[in-house]
Amino acid sequence: MAGALGSIRNRLSRRWPDPQEIRTLFPALPRSEAARTAWRIAALEARNRLLVECIRREVLPLVEAPEAFATLRPPLLLGTFHVGAIHALGPALEKLPGPVLALRQGRLYAAEPPVEVVSTEGDEQSRAAVFLRALAHLQAGGFVVTALDVVPGDGLTAPCLGRTLELARGPFALARLAGVPIVPLTARWQQGRVKVALDEALTSSGETELAAAAARWLESYLLESPGELGLGLLRSLLSSRPDPR
Amino acid sequence: MDIDEAVRDLVRSRAPLARAQTELADDLRLGPGGLGMDSIALVELLLDCEQRFGFRPGSWRPGELLEGPPLTVGRLAAHVRAVTGS
Repeated sequence: MAGALGSIRNRLSRRWPDPQEIRTLFPALPRSEAARTAWRIAALEARNRLLVECIRREVLPLVEAPEAFATLRPPLLLGTFHVGAIHALGPALEKLPGPVLALRQGRLYAAEPPVEVVSTEGDEQSRAAVFLRALAHLQAGGFVVTALDVVPGDGLTAPCLGRTLELARGPFALARLAGVPIVPLTARWQQGRVKVALDEALTSSGETELAAAAARWLESYLLESPGELGLGLLRSLLSSRPDPR
Repeated sequence: MDIDEAVRDLVRSRAPLARAQTELADDLRLGPGGLGMDSIALVELLLDCEQRFGFRPGSWRPGELLEGPPLTVGRLAAHVRAVTGS
């Protein structure tokens, strides 16, 4: 229902987002497909707003975790982007085979063990304490889950969809210091449920190279499913400078 | 080299703003309002200390340093001295 209302609002207003904005990032899309993508993004935004409100009231969505979760072996860093139903990932994390430390800006809900949610809000010293804790968690053989595209401090940049994507440096530094790969983790709405998926691990010894690999992964995911792009990430990409290459 | 000087050398290696200063006062903050080190640089400095001084397992608790008041050059050096027993 929320998705349908978001889509209708977009069709009437042709804003949030504008189909032309979609074509800036996806120039290969025909006009009609760009309009449909704009409806999908608007529907996703409306659905996610309702989802966040429900989670705050401890009404959790139906989430389907992939069978591949059981085969994952920590220590491992799971990286998310603001695409799809990212806020619904929490309940799926409980199915990971090991202790999970999830980092997010602000607390959305109180997780149950083996999942612990820690806020990255605060000054540099508070964030250093969280970073150190995440590093110790990985070194002790746990999972750390964090968004890659929220930038509280100085970030890394990498080309994505013809623009300059800004990525948080923390997850890439964490992967380097712990010597672990980053596994992309996504969640998307599917017939009223949320389906969680994993992809191939991203590995590189350098932070910049790993960030570039993450940006390439995101670009490929969005070219395949442009309607999964979150409105916030879309705005962030549009306001960034065009990639000079 | 004494502990205080060794800690200051590690600070200089991680904080560009410290390199131009011949003296690093005890009350100089490592983070904002002082040397401007970000969260990752702060953690890397603490890891450098761990590697440089080879603390006994369990004796070095860097998380406690970060949870207290703003970390200064003097507080870090004092903590390292306390842990190494120097």
